[in-house]
Amino acid sequence: MSMPRFYGHTPLGFGENSMPGRLIVIEGTDGVGRSTQIALLKEWLETEGYAVLDTGFRRSELTGDGIDRAMRGNTLDHMTLSLFYATDFWDRLEKSIIPALRAGKVALVDRYIYSIIARARVRGVPARWLDDVLEFALVPDQVFYMEIDVDHLLPRVLSSRELDHWESGEDFLRESDRHASFVRYQTSLLQEFGNLADQYGFETVDARRSVREVFETLQQRVMTTLETMDR
Amino acid sequence: MTDHHLSANFPMGKRYGEHPYDGEYPGKLIIVEGIDGSGKSTQIDLLGKWLNSLGFVTIFTEWNSSPIVRRTTKRGKDERMLTPMSFSLIHAADFANRVYTQVLPALKSGTIVLADRYVYTAFARDAARGVNRDWLRRVYSFAVTPSLALYFKVPLEESISRIVAGREEIGFYESGQDMGFSGNRADSFRTFQGRLLDEYDSLTEEYGLVTIDATRPISAQQQLVRQYVEPLLPGAMKIHGQDVHEALTTSGLTGRYIRHETPSRQLEPTAAPDI
Repeated sequence: MSMPRFYGHTPLGFGENSMPGRLIVIEGTDGVGRSTQIALLKEWLETEGYAVLDTGFRRSELTGDGIDRAMRGNTLDHMTLSLFYATDFWDRLEKSIIPALRAGKVALVDRYIYSIIARARVRGVPARWLDDVLEFALVPDQVFYMEIDVDHLLPRVLSSRELDHWESGEDFLRESDRHASFVRYQTSLLQEFGNLADQYGFETVDARRSVREVFETLQQRVMTTLETMDR
Repeated sequence: MTDHHLSANFPMGKRYGEHPYDGEYPGKLIIVEGIDGSGKSTQIDLLGKWLNSLGFVTIFTEWNSSPIVRRTTKRGKDERMLTPMSFSLIHAADFANRVYTQVLPALKSGTIVLADRYVYTAFARDAARGVNRDWLRRVYSFAVTPSLALYFKVPLEESISRIVAGREEIGFYESGQDMGFSGNRADSFRTFQGRLLDEYDSLTEEYGLVTIDATRPISAQQQLVRQYVEPLLPGAMKIHGQDVHEALTTSGLTGRYIRHETPSRQLEPTAAPDI
């Protein structure tokens, strides 16, 4: 990007300064291999001489802690949680992503507004409302969606850890066991991601392939974005 | 006052298809607005006491008080980490949580909800900080429309002298110092409050808030408040706890060991208020 574009209105003077950096987002469900790819991309980009910022979901100084505590209590309704995430997202956008882009860095972002939206939509939060709330988001230069199906996802998650309460949708689904809950939740989540891929124009990457193959695809595609950048 | 006979209903702003909070509720939502030092909290407190004395069930909700969210807000304020947008969003989260946990269940059950500050506070404060007005209305579009919205209007000088007399210190954000109007807190407060008054003036027009002259004596204002509230009362939920007291007096007992919060609570909607 050079002059920033936002999905909706331009928040509070943030459209005035140019942002010579590049904003690259990796999206996908948990366990799909996002963080591995971000780690690989970061190392590669730095070796190539790019300054890189990597930042993820729910890591803002302002709200990270508060969201963890609220979720532990299990009493958070879905719209409140969406707004909590929106606060967290804005805080990171304003305090780390935008400054990095202004300074000419490559921002590698592990999950963006789309993860907030997909998770909220499957829980019944009105789609139009949340799109409106999050319209203050910068339009990224590239959004990669690591696409996978539940059959391929399940063994991948299970090989490293047990199925998690939240990523099984147990906060709102009532299935007889966690496996059933995971399958049902991830199926609808992946479907929602598919809808978002169309709505927001993601570049889809087949995440069923090996780490090396996925990385090579990402490398090639990221290169096209970086070619246009002043160095 | 023609519109105030309506029940509380969704929504506050524009409506985008189906919404989980959609519907018309049997309860009543009465809200007060005004800048700091307008006396609105005193008025809603008096109103609540009066309604309780008549036997009505009321629930009270206050701006920035969700047990889940306010801790983050407090930290953000204390450490001055909040910017106009994060200030706006975290307050929306707080509001959403209170709507879900307090306001909606009460309205659905037919009780009276009293709210000290409502969405108009966000509309005024956030707009005064430069946040997009249209976006604010869409963010808060899930809010239930109040049955009665009272705006306690007070001139700038009057509110400042009340606050100076009553409080020791004005907060950093309360005085709008985050906006850099002035390094001096009192000057900044004056500038910010002035902006808020302008915002409230236009909100009054936009949403038809009922303006009450907050320079009048407290009891005169309260009489007016009660006049506005009265037409809303038929049908609101009451507690009939009086029979306990009647039983006690006829038996010559004082009820010393009966806890106040557990009268024989028979909740039922009434046909008309006993005024």
